This record gives sequence, C-alpha cells and structure tokens, in this order.
Amino acid sequence: MVGVLISMKLRVLRHSLGGIRGAFFGIGAVIGLSVAAGCAVFLALHPGGLTVGTDLASALIAVWTLGWLFGPILAGGGDETLRPENFALLPIRPVPLAVGLFGASLAGVAPLVTLIVFAGLVCVAVPVGTGAVVVAVLAVALQLAMAVLLSKVVIAGLGALLGSRRGKDLGVLLTALAALAYWPASYAFQTLGPIVLGQSSPVFSAALRYLPTGWGPTAVAASAAQDWLAALGWLLALAVVDGLLVLAWSRLLVRRLTTSQSASQPGRSARTGPARRRLRLLPESPLGAVIGKELRTWWRDARRRAMLLSSILIGAIVPVMSTVGNANASTLAFGALWIVFFAAMQVGNLYGFDGSALWQTLVTPGAVNADVRGRQWAWLLIVGPIALLAAAILPAVAGAPGAYPWVLALMPALLGGGAGTVLLMSVFAPFPMPTQRGRNPFSSGGRAGFSGFLPRMGIIFLQLATAVPAFVLLLLGALDVLPWANWAAVPVGVLSGLVAAWWWGGIACRRLARRGPELLAAVRVAV
Amino acid sequence: MGPHGLQRRRLQGRGIVMDLGDGVFDDLPRYRDQPADPAPALRLTGLSKRFGQTVAVDNMGLSVPPGSFFGLVGPNGAGKTTSLSMAVGLLRPDAGTVRVFGLDLWQDPVRAKALVGVLPDGLSLPERLTGRELLTYTALLRGLDRDTVAARADELLGVLELAEAERTLVIDYSAGMRKKIGLATALMHAPKLLVLDEPFEAVDPVSASTIRTILRRFVAAGGAVVLSSHVMELVEKLCDHVAVITRGRVVASGPVDAVRAGRSLEEVFVHLVGGRTGGAEGLSWLAS
Repeated sequence: MVGVLISMKLRVLRHSLGGIRGAFFGIGAVIGLSVAAGCAVFLALHPGGLTVGTDLASALIAVWTLGWLFGPILAGGGDETLRPENFALLPIRPVPLAVGLFGASLAGVAPLVTLIVFAGLVCVAVPVGTGAVVVAVLAVALQLAMAVLLSKVVIAGLGALLGSRRGKDLGVLLTALAALAYWPASYAFQTLGPIVLGQSSPVFSAALRYLPTGWGPTAVAASAAQDWLAALGWLLALAVVDGLLVLAWSRLLVRRLTTSQSASQPGRSARTGPARRRLRLLPESPLGAVIGKELRTWWRDARRRAMLLSSILIGAIVPVMSTVGNANASTLAFGALWIVFFAAMQVGNLYGFDGSALWQTLVTPGAVNADVRGRQWAWLLIVGPIALLAAAILPAVAGAPGAYPWVLALMPALLGGGAGTVLLMSVFAPFPMPTQRGRNPFSSGGRAGFSGFLPRMGIIFLQLATAVPAFVLLLLGALDVLPWANWAAVPVGVLSGLVAAWWWGGIACRRLARRGPELLAAVRVAV
Repeated sequence: MGPHGLQRRRLQGRGIVMDLGDGVFDDLPRYRDQPADPAPALRLTGLSKRFGQTVAVDNMGLSVPPGSFFGLVGPNGAGKTTSLSMAVGLLRPDAGTVRVFGLDLWQDPVRAKALVGVLPDGLSLPERLTGRELLTYTALLRGLDRDTVAARADELLGVLELAEAERTLVIDYSAGMRKKIGLATALMHAPKLLVLDEPFEAVDPVSASTIRTILRRFVAAGGAVVLSSHVMELVEKLCDHVAVITRGRVVASGPVDAVRAGRSLEEVFVHLVGGRTGGAEGLSWLAS
C-alpha cells in the first residue's frame, strides 16, 4: 500500500507542477538542496573532532526538526497532497494507513532536503570506521522519520484541538506568534552557535545530546567509543519514539476522519440579539446592507478575524521587538502606523475570502458600487478605531510626545490609503482561498503566487504614497523651515487619506463593474 | 420525401426547432420564431465559450418564451452550467448575445439583471450569515425597503421550511438547505425570469414538491423559468418547453410534447445525444 500511496503522491505532484508553478518549484528545490548540501558539507569538513561533529549534528537536527514543526503552521497546514479523507472509505486499519501516509509524505523535496542535511552525520562517522557508519545511517533514517512524524502528529493534534471556533482563533494567534519567532530565533543563533562550536557550555551541549533530536548523533558517538550496547540502545529508543508517533498519528487520523466539524460552536446559533440592534443604525440602503454584511462577516469568519488580529499583533509587536535592547524606544510611538499598514496589506484579498459568493453581487443590478464602498467602510470602521486608539496612547506610553503630530498626520493618510488599496488589491490581484469546510485549520492553500506578487507590492507602495504630502510638511516642520507645518500636516494627512480612499475605491468600482465575471473566475475554488 | 422529411414537417407545424446535427436537414430552410412574438423572456444568440482547447458552448441559440417553464437537459459536460452562467452575467461569452425580455444583458446589465432571479450550482453563498440575514442583505442590495424585506423573508423562510434554521449560519446548512435558501434569494425581488441550475439536486422529496408548486405558481402568474437538470422524468413532468443540448449545441428545442413526438423524453434524449445505453455487457465478475 505504501508503494501505491507514494506513486499516487508523485503523480499528483507531477500534475500540479505545470508551467510557471513548476519553474518556481524547481527554483525552490534547487535552493533547498543547495542549503542542505551546504549544511552537510559543513558537518563533514568542520575543523573540530568527533565530539564537536556529533554536537553540531545534534544542533542541526534539532533546528531542522523544529523547522518541521513550525514550517507547516506557517506555510498553511503542511503537505496535504494526499488527504486522509480520500482513504477514509478503504478497508485499511488506522496504523497501516498512518504508515502508508507517512511513506507518501517522505516522497517530496522537503524530506529529501532534510535527509541531505541529516546525512552530514554519516560524513562525521566515516573517519571512525564501518561500524559507526552503519549506526549513523540507521540514526539518520530514524531521525528523519521522527522529524516528519512529529510534524504530522503536532499538526494533526492541533487540528483536533482547534476544531472549535475559539480554538481556531488560538491557532491563528499561534501562527502569528510563530511568524514572530524570527527575532528570538535569530538571537538564539547568534549567541548559541559559538557555544556549540567552542564547546564552551557543557550543560547546553548535554541538553542537545539528550533531547530525542540528539539521540542519533549520541549513538554515533557511542559507537565511536566502541560502546556498541549504548549505540544500539539509543537507536532502539529512537525507533520506539518513531513507533509511538505512528501510533499517535493513527489515533488522530481516526479522530479526524470520524468527527464532524461545525463552523460555529456546536449547539449554539449565531448571535443576532444586541449586534442586530446596533447594526440597525446602519442606513437602510444597498450601502448599509454591504457594511452590515461585511461587519458581521469580519466578526464571524475565523479566517478574516485571524488576518486582522494577527496584523494588529504584528503591528504592535514589530515596534516592541525592534526596540528591545535599544535604549531609544521611539518606534513604539509609531505603532498605529504599523497596525494600519499591516491591516491593509494582510486583508487585501476580500473577494478571495468570499470566494464564489461574489456571484450574488454580479447578478444584482447596480450593486457593484455599494459593494466596493461598503467594504471600504467596514474596513475603516474596524481598523480606524483601533488605529486611533493606538495613535492616541502609544506616543505617550513610549515617552515620545514629540511623535504626536507625526502619528496624527500620517495615520489618517495611511488609513484612507489603506481603505483604497485593500480594494485595489482585492480586485486587481485576487487569489482563490480554500473553502472552509476542510479539517485542517491551518490550511491556507491558495497563496498569492508570484504572478500576483508584483501588483500587490506596487499597491502597497501606493498606500505609502498617500502619506507623502503630510510627510513633506512634517519634514519641513522638523527642519524649522516652516514652524507651523507640523500641525498643518494633520489636516493634510486627513485630506490625502480621504482623497485616496475615494479615488481608489472608484477605480475598484469601475474594475469590478467591467471585469466582474473574470474576478469571479479568479477567486473561484474547484470543490 | 423520406421519413426524416415527414417528421420534420410535423415538427415545423408545432413550431419547434430541431437540429439532429451532421447535416440531416441542411437542405431545408431553418425554422425561426415568429417575428411578431413579444420579446422572449430569454434569448441566446450565437453564444460561444471556449476554455483553452475545449469548446464548452458552441454558437448556441435558444429562445425561452415568456410564461414558459423551460427545461434545459443534456449529458454531463454538455455546457448547461456554462451557458446559464453566460446567460445571467457570471461568465463573459467569447461571442454572442444574451437578451432578457429584449434587453441585452451584457450591454445593459443593470436593467436586464433587475428582471432575473438566479440560483447557480456549485457557487458559494456569503457563508457567515444566517439564512434570514442573507435574504435581508440580498434584498436591501436590490433596493427594497426594510419592511417589505422583512415580510418577504418571513414568508419565504416559512414556505421553504427554513424557519427553524434561520439562526444557523449558511456554512452549516446541508446541501438541500443551501439550494432552498439560494432559491429564496432568487425570489426575494420578485423577478420576471428565474434561471435555476440544478434546483432539485440534493433536495428532499417534500421540499422538492414545495419548490415545484412555487415554480408552477410563478409561471402561472406570467413569469418564465429556465432550469437545467439531467433528470428526464422531472423535466417531462414539470416543464412545458425543453431544449436538449450536447457538446455545447442545442440539438432540439420546443414544446415538450413536440420534442417527445410520442416517445418518452428519455428515449428522445438518448437518440439525440447519440448515446447508447450501455451496462449490459462485460462486468461478469460483478455478479459472482
């Protein structure tokens, strides 16, 4: 069965790699393989002795295993080329199914890249002798299995945990935080790398060795010391861990295949009470209808909520992170600008979120303008108050009251620009997103892709351009050329924001009116 | 005059267009609708669409008289959904025109679309709204006032037996409920033409009967319905006009009785699409 699944996966991969996508896949594969080869060569040629070699291998295996854990969370659910659902009706018991899917997930570029990195351990063992090489080969296989299985189990476990609505929010926060792990990680690399190479911290080296990711290298080290029993013991321990992981994954597979998942919390219906009264304040018109629909959807759709939540988080954390260890905390004062910027950049695929539901707008006469303007208003009504709050509070918190004119002038300009560019991105660079009926909450499927990348970048710069008039005035004020310019920048910022929102929204309206069916085709997902 | 000629003359007398393809009747002038007729509820002329190498709809012509219940039948992949998508403005045709009561849908979309109610197949709805919210917003978007909207939503949810589910988000609806709420959104603005793609798929028998009754009343009141289906019995029972399409072309269209010509619609269909009902040979292992 494993053979069938592997050939199935390779066939699917081959079919999905046509044209440009194939080219980018090839480039990615080449880059990945070169990095891996670099790691392996480094392990083989490093100047230290066997102990340094095995410690380095432990560190590399630990880092790459961590990559297997976080990569799928970041990259949207990991490899779902073969979905377990497709095999739910086959008379296969869970453990063989898990083994088969595991075998299939080994067929791919990422496992190959990892295998090459781990194979550095074999290079380390070559000078020692044949016995050590045999141990190293076995260790590499078991470590690779562990990395892949651990990733599968963690994603499946989180998926089971995050089945509920609250859980999905948690998962998204996790994703955002994983994305932000870059800063601590780079700090760790800078400080811990030399420790491993210089063997300067025995505790840290020991910890690396005794973690399951270090058991393979430890077995090699034992075999180098002719302690074959210990080597065998470490390998057996690794094999037991792998077996337990297969077992755990099979349990999780059963759960995934036999429980249903409801979008809202089970037994609870949509809240229509107070929210309903509040939304009645909206005008009774097509525009009001779209704003109401959008506000409700922002609130109820986990994916949309997630995008906004994470952009606000990133907007708040980026300045904090960049000021850590930096006596000058002034970037925190500009948190509001980051929030607006990320909130516009992240959600610029509104029609992609809604998928083929766009047909409703297209069959409704004259609904296009209301749709675009309503979506602009809804975005403004959500992001605006948060940005305003951040603009009012953060400069004071950061102890930089001098930042107030800057923040208060640039924020409305970016906000208005964002209300325009969100729609521009949504109509000019749309991409399909998977329907939300799948079982993998991390699945983000459709990526913007490289074809949409350039227009998106261009539109992001447009948003920044809205801030230019206010920025010039602020600069003139700061340079004492025009002393009053500082505060004159605030109304100028508001005005340029208004103009941008109105102007670009109009462009989006005309585009949607003219190319509606094409947009529908672009965001439609094959079920 | 051969048997084809006789049949042809009889068909002409009943005012139907029949094209058996492969030039069977190429020597005879083609029949056209009487020009004195009021504008058809829906008229497709020379409609074409190609996806890459595949020709999905090939120079299709179709005329749906006002007040008719029009069934569109065809085998899988015949181009039913593609042509209906082009007819309602969801897919841009490569060539051809679509007229709704004489208004060109692609040139004058606002006036034409106001007359049409659509239930597409396989497209999603705004998933995070409840059934009632979906109806309300759809109707407000069409410019109805709130009181009318509330009254009509109440009635539709009641009649379609969606009242209990009105607090459930559409994403949690079953396939049949999605069809029903989709039909309700198509009806909210009291259109003159309903275009329904596979409206009975996944709908339970009781609801299907309700929907049939609603549609019959709609037609009796002067509205026109176009629906696609591959269930011949349903079209035979429900529709007064039928068009058979295959490989993107209309091969027969007209009143159901005329197209049937005394046979069952299924027989005519199989004959027209050039199919051969298989399944009798081979597969001996299946019975062992």
